[in-house]
Amino acid sequence: MKVQVWDGFIRGFHWLLLVTFAGLWYTGGNIDFIDQHELLGLFMLALLLTRIMWGFVGSESARFSTFVKGPVSVWRYLRDKSATTPLTHNPIGAWSVIALLTLLLAQALTGLFTDDAIFYQGPLASWVDNDVNRLLTRYHKQIIDGILILVAIHIVAIFVYRIRGTALTWTMVSGKRQTSEPLAQPKLVHGAWGYGLLAVNCLWIYLWLG
Amino acid sequence: MTLSRTLCFIATLSLCLSLLNTAQANPFTDAEDAVKYRQQALSMMRDNFGIMSAMARGDRDYDAEQFKQRAKAVYHLSYIPWDAFQGVGERVTENSDALPVIWENWSDFESRISNFQQAVQELVEAADSGNMREIRPKFMTVARNCQQCHQGYRAD
Repeated sequence: MKVQVWDGFIRGFHWLLLVTFAGLWYTGGNIDFIDQHELLGLFMLALLLTRIMWGFVGSESARFSTFVKGPVSVWRYLRDKSATTPLTHNPIGAWSVIALLTLLLAQALTGLFTDDAIFYQGPLASWVDNDVNRLLTRYHKQIIDGILILVAIHIVAIFVYRIRGTALTWTMVSGKRQTSEPLAQPKLVHGAWGYGLLAVNCLWIYLWLG
Repeated sequence: MTLSRTLCFIATLSLCLSLLNTAQANPFTDAEDAVKYRQQALSMMRDNFGIMSAMARGDRDYDAEQFKQRAKAVYHLSYIPWDAFQGVGERVTENSDALPVIWENWSDFESRISNFQQAVQELVEAADSGNMREIRPKFMTVARNCQQCHQGYRAD
């Protein structure tokens, strides 16, 4: 049977995140693209905040309370993967989502306080003193490595699933999941609400920090 | 002292003598003083550069006269810090962000300095035009020179 697991916002968010991240990766560290990097970074911040809000008020499948499980559940899942058919992210994937969101958020937030010692200061650089700017700038250069590692793991995992017959990439496009076992249809919130929220977040972030 | 450094030293010395240029070694006897001196010069460069940057990137109205003054200030400053990297300034101190690799690649460091000075000179010339479209690429070249040297020679 086919079950609609991802609402329109989650799917759009995922691909916007990919494109924005690619843009940030490309423009990062390049002095000629610093203004574009800042703008993309602010958009990234809006995306992340909206996803986090959606994790509390959005579709059942997108809510953190649905998929984030404690260590016991993770252990149980690892021992016997067939025991449960998770509605959305499995217990391991859930922590990977949390880790990635955390690192991306840390990256976006530290970026606000950076100072390149040449000609760029992040929008909030003046809030803290130079030593803190310096430290956060260093973190901003280091966190990216952690993000790239998680992205690599994510891509490898998708290939492994593909080899075993599960097409996750397509699920993130159509939102539909093919399953042999009966799966309760999660309560979905219309994606338009998510995009509305995103627009509001973009607006205040841009007006404040842009 | 390695052979190459000895040769370099002899070459530098003879060059100085031949030009009858009485460029003295820096006046410092304390490494911390040398570090402070070059940091002050570099931070003044950055302060001046920051104002030009705001104008070049449209965060501040372009004022041709002010821009020219700032560019000239950076030009003069671009000759200041470097001799404080020599003598006692070669000692690595706690307050310095200079990486030891500077003294391992001294000739590269020097050539970067002269590239930087050249770029700043071109910026000063462009600033005379009063035309931001001419200025901006020269400005970015200077910024790139700063960055290239910081990568590798300055601690993060």
